[in-house]
Amino acid sequence: MNRSIERHRNILDFALSSLLRRKGKNVSLWVMYTLVVFLIAAIVFYTHALKREAALILQGAPDIVVQKMVAGRHDLVPVGYVEKIAAIRGVTAVRPRLWGYYYDAVTGANFTLMASDDLPPGTADIGNGIARTMRIAEGDFIPIRAVPGATTLFQVRKVLPYASELASSDLILLSEGDLRALFDFPRGFATDLALTVGNPAERATIAAKIAAQFPDSRPILNSEILRTYDSIFDWRGGMMVVMLGVAVFSFVIFAWDKATGLSAEERKEIGILKSVGWETGDVLLLKFWEGAVVSLAAFLCGVILAYVQVFFFSASLFEPALKGWAVLYPRFKLVPDVDPYLLAVLFFLTVVPYTVATIIPSWRAATVDPDAAMRS
Amino acid sequence: MIALHDVTKSFNIGKPNPFTAVRSVGLTIAAARLTVLKGPSGSGKTTLLTLIGCMARPTSGRIVLSGDGIAGFPGGEEMRELDITSLPERFLAGIRRATFGFIFQHFNLVRGITVLENVMLPAYPTGERHGEVRKRAVELLSLFNVERHAHSRVDLLSGGETQRVAIARALINRPSVIVADEPTAHLDTDLSREFMEIVGSFKREGKTVLIASHDPLVCESSRVDTVVEMRDGRILRSGSAP
Repeated sequence: MNRSIERHRNILDFALSSLLRRKGKNVSLWVMYTLVVFLIAAIVFYTHALKREAALILQGAPDIVVQKMVAGRHDLVPVGYVEKIAAIRGVTAVRPRLWGYYYDAVTGANFTLMASDDLPPGTADIGNGIARTMRIAEGDFIPIRAVPGATTLFQVRKVLPYASELASSDLILLSEGDLRALFDFPRGFATDLALTVGNPAERATIAAKIAAQFPDSRPILNSEILRTYDSIFDWRGGMMVVMLGVAVFSFVIFAWDKATGLSAEERKEIGILKSVGWETGDVLLLKFWEGAVVSLAAFLCGVILAYVQVFFFSASLFEPALKGWAVLYPRFKLVPDVDPYLLAVLFFLTVVPYTVATIIPSWRAATVDPDAAMRS
Repeated sequence: MIALHDVTKSFNIGKPNPFTAVRSVGLTIAAARLTVLKGPSGSGKTTLLTLIGCMARPTSGRIVLSGDGIAGFPGGEEMRELDITSLPERFLAGIRRATFGFIFQHFNLVRGITVLENVMLPAYPTGERHGEVRKRAVELLSLFNVERHAHSRVDLLSGGETQRVAIARALINRPSVIVADEPTAHLDTDLSREFMEIVGSFKREGKTVLIASHDPLVCESSRVDTVVEMRDGRILRSGSAP
């Protein structure tokens, strides 16, 4: 047992000094490898954390949202629907919501305006993104152009908390009266209806009943919204696939290069080792350790760098491309959350192929008779 | 003792350019003696050394080790003789490591690592404690007066120093047989004489020494016990050194 450990120790020792004597080549390999692992790990961490963030926000979202459609176009819902829908078995509460999108010509950004019950007329709560873009603080006035063309000023009561920025970056909360006046919403109508359903298993049935009772309505389930979030943030999103594709492709080229080539000097060294009594297994162990040291070091560095980049610097490298807002980039710190399964997949997709790729050409060279070294 | 029975080694069998390097060689190499394989280039000396040193297998014939030569091999203490011809590769590697110490024509040291590491290299797979191997390597380097270069890279040594390091490496696993292929081919007269003195000391320690050379300084040395003359893969004559 001790001899086996010593053998590993001795061969690992030689593997390290072997790596050091080809410093230039191995450092460039390590840098390249770390970069590939960093890119893949950062994308994986980022999408996972973002999805988690989105799911947390959706926990407070209504179970079903009911919209009214006119020939496929979203229209205002008559508040009269509330009572009839509330009468459907299983529906716990129905709340009419007033909101709308607003294009701000000055900043070139789209804001979401929403009615809030606890705001006095003439005041507004605004999201962090809007405060940043328009350089507005609490107590300042925010100008909003109303339907007839006149600009109305609202005093900012508070800037919405930093923690909810993913959902509230572009949000402006106003009193119901102000919102109706701005959008010229008639009394007795709402933008949509937010439903609370006690039993999650009944949501689909209730949605079907609403659709049957109100043919002009479109019930949207919470799970459908979640799916939409998923497809936006998930790695199936186009940008992710391209970035992941590039990273994986460069890794494949890199591993292939390793797998197909052993320099003449490396071949000669393998011959020398065999001629002085190393077995094929010893040579493979040496090459395994060489590959494992480079790939493990690169894996650890890549993963740590990705972790720091995503969770301490809020993924500043990917922010413009991946968060999906054109003007109002939300700023928030993602909560560190790493899925061990994804980490294991990443490990097996990077460390294992590379280590195997380093062993194969050495195995080919190590299985020939060592007398070639004697003749060299 | 090493006994060769009707040993033949052919290369490129079944290809358009087959050739036979060693033809029906029968030879006995006595233990604790210095034997020289003498002959011109292409006479089959190096091929015969590789066959005896378990670096290649003969195409036909048998090679048998006996006596101290197999004592270092796992289980060798209980054996009287060992036919190495049909052993699997991992056993051959074990014999190369435990029984033979090789000194190559071009020394074949691993470039880029230190002198000390080069000397320790054959002992790494044995699983011996690193500290013990290191201590023995330093002792060998001081024996050959190159311990001051222990931490230098081998590429920076002179020819004579490189050869002494190669000899130290050959001795690290305490082999009973030393095999040297054209060891003086790249040495001047003084260094060649120094090499023969070192070889003489091996003999005094009871080691079997086998050298392939056509250098008169080696073949005509008073330390040589037996000279085996080879040409075209065959033994022309074998007898005591003059």
